[in-house]
Amino acid sequence: MSSRAPTPALDARGEEEAIDSYRPQAPFLDELFELDGTPRPTARALVEELRRLGPAGLIEAGRRRDAIFMQQGITFETSGGGGATHERPFPLDLVPRVLSGQEWRDIKRGLAQRIRALNHFVDDVYHAREIVREGLVPWRLVVSCSHFARAVHGIRPPGGVYTHVAGCDLVRHSDGTWKVIEDNVRIPSGISYVLENRAAMARLVPELFASYRVRPVDHYPQLLLRALRSVAPSAESEATVVVWTPGPANPAYFEHAFLARQMGVELVEASDLVVRDDVLYMRTTRGLERAHAVYRRLDDDFVDPLEFRSDSLLGVPGLVRAYRAGSVAIANAFGTGVADDKAIYCFVPDMIRFYLGEEPILENVKTYLLSDPEVLEHVLGRLDQLVIKPTGESGGRGVMIGPHAEEAEIARMRDVISAHPERWIAQDVVRLSTVPTVGIDGVLAPRHVDLRPFAVFGERIDIVPGGLTRVALDDGSLIVNSSRGGGSKDTWVLEDGDDADRAGPPIADTQPPALPDLRYGAWTGQQQQQQQLHPPSPQGPQRRKTL
Amino acid sequence: MHFAIRFLTEYHYDAPVTDNLNALRVRPATTSTQRCDEFHTRIEPEARVSRHLDYFGTEVIEFGIPTSHEQLTIDVRARVVTSAPPDPPEGSWDGLLTPAYFDAAGEFALPWQDQPSIAGLESLHDALEAECPLETLETLCELIPDRFEYRPGATYVGSTVSDLLDMGAGVCQDFVHLSLVLLRRRGIAARYVSGYLWAAPHDEGADSMELDTHAWLEALLPCSDGRGEPVWVSADPTNRGLAGEAHVKIGHGRFYSDVPPVKGLYMGGATSQLEAAVTMSRLDPQTSARA
Repeated sequence: MSSRAPTPALDARGEEEAIDSYRPQAPFLDELFELDGTPRPTARALVEELRRLGPAGLIEAGRRRDAIFMQQGITFETSGGGGATHERPFPLDLVPRVLSGQEWRDIKRGLAQRIRALNHFVDDVYHAREIVREGLVPWRLVVSCSHFARAVHGIRPPGGVYTHVAGCDLVRHSDGTWKVIEDNVRIPSGISYVLENRAAMARLVPELFASYRVRPVDHYPQLLLRALRSVAPSAESEATVVVWTPGPANPAYFEHAFLARQMGVELVEASDLVVRDDVLYMRTTRGLERAHAVYRRLDDDFVDPLEFRSDSLLGVPGLVRAYRAGSVAIANAFGTGVADDKAIYCFVPDMIRFYLGEEPILENVKTYLLSDPEVLEHVLGRLDQLVIKPTGESGGRGVMIGPHAEEAEIARMRDVISAHPERWIAQDVVRLSTVPTVGIDGVLAPRHVDLRPFAVFGERIDIVPGGLTRVALDDGSLIVNSSRGGGSKDTWVLEDGDDADRAGPPIADTQPPALPDLRYGAWTGQQQQQQQLHPPSPQGPQRRKTL
Repeated sequence: MHFAIRFLTEYHYDAPVTDNLNALRVRPATTSTQRCDEFHTRIEPEARVSRHLDYFGTEVIEFGIPTSHEQLTIDVRARVVTSAPPDPPEGSWDGLLTPAYFDAAGEFALPWQDQPSIAGLESLHDALEAECPLETLETLCELIPDRFEYRPGATYVGSTVSDLLDMGAGVCQDFVHLSLVLLRRRGIAARYVSGYLWAAPHDEGADSMELDTHAWLEALLPCSDGRGEPVWVSADPTNRGLAGEAHVKIGHGRFYSDVPPVKGLYMGGATSQLEAAVTMSRLDPQTSARA
């Protein structure tokens, strides 16, 4: 990281304005600056380099970033006016977020604890239901979760692992504490941006790294592959792993392809897979080849039309049978959505105490379950002060932030919630911390951030240092989802010699030969309507009553 | 009563198909009023069969035929002994609000998914006002056949409750779905039951008849003294009354798609012709029944 881009010749006053006029916005905590505008100790060298770059340097680096991202296809679709969608480079902000080694260790312990508890919960819900019998989680709530998967009741996957990949969203409150705002244990996405962001930063602004030892993130694909092999029902060295994508139309297709390439495994779609005698096979030019572990990137609803939505022909008929027979590992396991339901979220601290006998290391945000009429009334009275979320959604869909909502929006929400209170939760507004972020004029301004670290659960839980820092690009906005105008930042965890990551041998960055197009035919469904061929005779009923 | 049941399903495809995967829910359950003594399945072309109990406790028989074929036969035979259920409890409406009732009710008390969008439920709902949940259940079993015509072909396997209300006619599957919506609106937990019904008129003394699979429901009624466990009571809104020993239960679920007798998929664009028939025979002497 010693090579330096030539510093553009700049007007000295402009340089000063880029940094020295920066002021955190009370009451929010700023992660790089104290309230009085002095850099925090860990950020001093970084701020010095940013000052040297100046607004013009940041604008120029941003221009190169957009060109590279467009060229490499690191983009996402946004819907503009008139229903048209267009590709935009993924908005990576050039100011990194910095976490000390100690801060990260606390977060990591808290996440590992939480993910172990969530994994226990998934197992429990589909088997003994001990937490329900103990009276801690109401069964009524479990069965009302839209992602509670009756089809996998009683199935215990290889290794007892359900939540192979978890991405819990963390926020930092103004008092400095980290809180979990939601859990994602279905198909959390964003890890490819973590890796691409780091690579791009090292290329675009290498000078920022000059005084830092930043812990690497690029071993994530190895961690994932190792975890998938460890749960595959075969000798580890022989396990065939595949990445299953719904296809190029999926917004996260880039990530599916990226991970398959990085792990050196096949990227498949449903038509490449077939189940015969409860065993999953992949169609190849050499004939059928067994697949032992599937990293699937589509929702339960679409995986097997025989067991989940029968109108979905995206899926692989019989896959749940193969899974039930134990001949294939599915990551994440079917049915994990019951654990990241936003109503179930309230009970995670209790799960940690119940399953692990430990006190939660990471806090929850204060959350209101609206199925209780008294709570509902209280919440309806202060919708303008709370965040309202639908229980079964993810990715920020359907979320209303009370303090930022128009009156009409609040009134609409009141009607919707009153009709189906069990489908919504309310949360206190969290004062998300800020990190300086480059504006279009190259000047830094405080913007709100959250953090999604990625954990991989195989034989043990590994968490890549840092994770995806998402940033709300608009002044004052708290919405960080990229689908709703959010951007991201490189997240640095500083090496302090205490907790080095032992990366395994590198995996060849090669694309396996593309699968031939063996798609033939289509699936057709058959089921009978229930009816009596002979309608009951008029006299039948009276007699039948005496039976 | 003692029955022999044969459920024969034949699919004829107009072109060869492969990877024909099916799940059967056809085995009579063993309950407090019913016992399944013998049970056999035969699949043609021959296939390896695997069995498991699903979430609702119904036995599922699964098989797959990977190789090319133009016909599929599923031949199921069972022997069952049934007895009459005990008298239904007459617990009060208060009994629906106890923790014991909530625990037993589970998902069967949740509001129907698309209920708010169903037009025309109000008058049916109002007609079910009654002294106790049992009376509502009995009223319902008269109301549905009074208001709706039983007409095969009016609906299809994927029809919704709204379709039944629009058409004014349907089959037992539709009658049960509508009944579940109405019972749950009254706070009564209710579930869909799939099975076989011995529908022969007594006085003809028939000992065998051809039918199809049948659907009825079970409603969770609070026990009479209000303190004991609530009881699942079977009722048949297609046949105007509570269900009895002529009803042979296979299993239950939230709705039809939790307990379809046969559900399958095959590879290939062929269309299939279905022939399915249930033959039920009484094995016990019928003199007592006729007396």
